[in-house]
Amino acid sequence: MLRKEQNDLLTQTGPGTPMGRMFRLNWIPALLAEELPENECPPVRVKLLSERLLAWRDTQGRYALTDEFCAHRGISLWFGRNEENGLRCPYHGWKYDHTGQCIDVPSEPAESGFCSKIKLKSYPLIERGGVLWTYMGPPELQPPAPEWEFATVPAKHSIITKRLQECNWLQALEGGIDSSHVSFLHRGDLNTDPMFKGAKGNQYNLNDARPFFEVVESPGGLYIGARRNAENGNYYWRITQWVMPTFTMIPPRGDHCVHGHFWIPIDDENCWTWSYDYHPIRPLKESEVAAVRAGKGIHVQYIPGTYRPTANKDNDYLMDRAAQKRGETYSGVGGFAMQDAAVQESMGPVVDRAKENLVSTDNGIIMMRHRLLRAIKGMEKGEQPPGIDLAHQRVRSAAVVLPPDQPFKDAAREALIAKPGVAPASV
Amino acid sequence: MLSESARMSSAAEARFRIDAPNSKPRAVKVIALDHASERVVKDLAERSWNNATFFTASAFGQAPRQGESFAGWLSDLAGRTKNLIEEVNSADLVVMVAQAGESAQAASIIGEACSVKRVMTTALVLGGAKISDDALSKTLSQLRPWALMLVIANADEYIADMLTALRA
Repeated sequence: MLRKEQNDLLTQTGPGTPMGRMFRLNWIPALLAEELPENECPPVRVKLLSERLLAWRDTQGRYALTDEFCAHRGISLWFGRNEENGLRCPYHGWKYDHTGQCIDVPSEPAESGFCSKIKLKSYPLIERGGVLWTYMGPPELQPPAPEWEFATVPAKHSIITKRLQECNWLQALEGGIDSSHVSFLHRGDLNTDPMFKGAKGNQYNLNDARPFFEVVESPGGLYIGARRNAENGNYYWRITQWVMPTFTMIPPRGDHCVHGHFWIPIDDENCWTWSYDYHPIRPLKESEVAAVRAGKGIHVQYIPGTYRPTANKDNDYLMDRAAQKRGETYSGVGGFAMQDAAVQESMGPVVDRAKENLVSTDNGIIMMRHRLLRAIKGMEKGEQPPGIDLAHQRVRSAAVVLPPDQPFKDAAREALIAKPGVAPASV
Repeated sequence: MLSESARMSSAAEARFRIDAPNSKPRAVKVIALDHASERVVKDLAERSWNNATFFTASAFGQAPRQGESFAGWLSDLAGRTKNLIEEVNSADLVVMVAQAGESAQAASIIGEACSVKRVMTTALVLGGAKISDDALSKTLSQLRPWALMLVIANADEYIADMLTALRA
């Protein structure tokens, strides 16, 4: 359980909040590159960390992420004209460049220099791995561009999607590092989903529903190890990575892709769930890309023209009680992603953690909160929070079989670091 | 019209959640396995807890021999001898605290008692970042068979956060 003030501290990410400051010290995914497909394409409304922004791409292909509203009368520049290296407000013609600098105020004499005094807030926006990333913190603390492995492998090795999740970012993240729910919530899908089925590791999972857990602090966050019995007295380990504040990587299965998430706050009651699948040493198969597009694995199908899942709270997540009764799904909701989203959204926009009753197997969640709170205290003393250092981003999850006397963080040390051209450790 | 899921997951509906306790305090027994962790546990014991009690097994470097009684194998922080079986019997969770690199031999006796009584165990290893992998491995190998959840924490204050989170 968390006291209300601690819950507020971790769940609120707007401007001026401690957790918001931590997010703002990192490059975070803002939108997919496909959302700004060409120069002078229509601008896209983007809300991040409770700030209303507008993403656009100018005549020269420069990406822009600026305040959504015109400095003149406050109308949304989403209605603007993207033309001749700038975005022009359709109301009175004020025009802004990709840095948010006003470059034309038609009603004022150009010689007056008035427009030089007008500048919208803007943030850098860069493309990497099919994602447009932004940095919303102080310019003097801007770190190098992100180096998550999925975003640095060749384009055909990786795929990333996003979906709207209608709850606070923290309860979504907590689902992502809670290994013990897999044997229940996702039970029906491990052996049928094309992104998971066929791996030997699945049998270890299904044969042992009471794993032992080990939670170990890593330089960037946590290793969360789930240990199950394998043959000959050995242990089957699944090691999840969490890197602060919001990156997770789920252990792979067989030769399937490695996958994971970011949960990026839109505001305090909604977040974007970013879901990536990649393979470090091979392009994704056509069948894998097709499966992602069909909403399999950790991905979803969408309401056309949106990033809102087809199954959502407005249609009770397409609950199928008959499938639940038949055992096809444990919850009645189809697909890994929406099974997670449905239960997490059902908690309400921001769950009251003063009412929860955590148990020992929730230590991954407890430690994650502890590390975030510790990092907030460290930031007050001028310390850089973990996760920004590029070395913290060059990580992998792993699935390995180890002798019983070996600590996973040592025996799997090499497997937990991203190395170009090296296959992931998987069972 | 909003679906039931949409309506019921709104902030407005959250106001109608029943505001009554949904659990009773759990009995959590926290046991220091060595002298270094005993200091941490003593500091913890001075705080206010719902139903956590604190012990040490640090004085017992060796496990009892076959057939030897468990009685008197544990003491509270004032040095009074306690009966391990009685303490485990009345526990919902036993938390064993060990300093990385120190002997955690007592874990086998405590863990066995918990196993017999079907009591959940958690082991916390403190100071894991400060010692060699070999020394840490030795502590882990003594704890791992007996801990359903094992946590290696860099900061001593984690244990207080954990106990608070568990409503101990």
